[in-house]
Amino acid sequence: MKKVFYISLVGFILFSSFSIIQSEGLIDKTKLTADCKAKMEPYKYDSQKFTKINFNENSQLLEIEVPVFIGEKYRIVFNTNALTTNKININVYTKSKSSSKRETIFTTNGDNSNTGEFVFDVPRVRKLFIDYEVPADASANKISGYILMMVGYK
Amino acid sequence: MISTKKSLVLKGSMLMIAGMLFASCNNNNTPKDENTENLTDSTVVSETEATNNVFYSLPSPLQIASIFKKSGLKYQDGITSDVKEPSKYTTSLLKSINLGIYSADLSYCVLNKQNQAAMNYMKLCRQLADNLGMGSVFEQNNLSKRFEKNLGNEDSLAYIIAELQMVTDMYLEENQQPQITAIVFSGAWIESMYLGSKLYETSKDKTMGTKLSEQMTILGSIINALKVVKDKDPAIPSLIDDLQNIKNDYDKSPSVSAKTPSKDEEDEAEINLTENEITQLTNKIKDLRTKFIKG
Repeated sequence: MKKVFYISLVGFILFSSFSIIQSEGLIDKTKLTADCKAKMEPYKYDSQKFTKINFNENSQLLEIEVPVFIGEKYRIVFNTNALTTNKININVYTKSKSSSKRETIFTTNGDNSNTGEFVFDVPRVRKLFIDYEVPADASANKISGYILMMVGYK
Repeated sequence: MISTKKSLVLKGSMLMIAGMLFASCNNNNTPKDENTENLTDSTVVSETEATNNVFYSLPSPLQIASIFKKSGLKYQDGITSDVKEPSKYTTSLLKSINLGIYSADLSYCVLNKQNQAAMNYMKLCRQLADNLGMGSVFEQNNLSKRFEKNLGNEDSLAYIIAELQMVTDMYLEENQQPQITAIVFSGAWIESMYLGSKLYETSKDKTMGTKLSEQMTILGSIINALKVVKDKDPAIPSLIDDLQNIKNDYDKSPSVSAKTPSKDEEDEAEINLTENEITQLTNKIKDLRTKFIKG
């Protein structure tokens, strides 16, 4: 019967460890940044933003406003490798989600490359509105992840 | 024997339950590297952000300096910040905002091949970063040494500053200090606008006037980014008020109000400010810069 005890003990340790890993303890943000930076060449690093995603029973629309300047050349790299699912769509628009006149200028919808990295060269606009469409996922409640967005310019 | 078996099973089961509870608690706690963007934990997210789910990404001081340089911003001796003793800044906000001011001056000097001045501002940035507890970023990837070695090579220095920006961003992300990012950029923006206005004063170049008004389009983003982190430093609301006052006056100026009939078109309009409007705008920026530099 000691066997049962030891199995339970191992189960406890494994479960706890797995949960800590899941809850982001081992997310290597430095590596995510380095991977994005590698895709940025020959553009110069400008800024980056980690966005934490917490899945829950409701779908979410998160938006990042990025000011850009007319006449400049920009590249944006997304890294989704720190997410627990690949069901999140990334869309880039010319206007905010409150505007009826916005146009989509980039989307990952339908991209099946599965690399977790997306590179996008920006057309001539004044601001970018980057939307993360997070689907409802009650089964993944409280499990979180990150999307990294890096902006570069020439 | 049966009793012992039961006892072991019971102990094992209790450990499993304890493990699940521990794991569950761990998930609910604010993790080590969690920033203010945790969207479901209302205790760490400002109301505005949680309600709107909108975040702001601000450009680097180097990019702003680069844009002004492309527009013809020439080097003019003696217009950058002349404070040589950053230890006079005692609050976190003053340290951060003056780090932004020095960063803009550093970028301006690098892009105009002013090696000695660039070296001085690099040292001042390092001192202020030390005062903010983040001086270690200058040692990453031998950034300080590489900067010294590449003095005179504008392209290499620009890449080193961009790398410095990246490691600083990483440091602030890992240490959950998004407010410093927003405050530093506020300082860099104020200084860049000041440098642009000084050039406009001497040249009256209309291109520079247009660039100054173009930079005003990001002031709204800066204010919103500060609002997101306003609870992290009691001095931030006052900074927001200062910047909001500048934005309000700018929005009311006839050239601007005539060009922005709706929110949808606001970002597309190219504004050509009159000389008087530029003077009013730049005077307000000068006053704010003086306030922060004086400390």
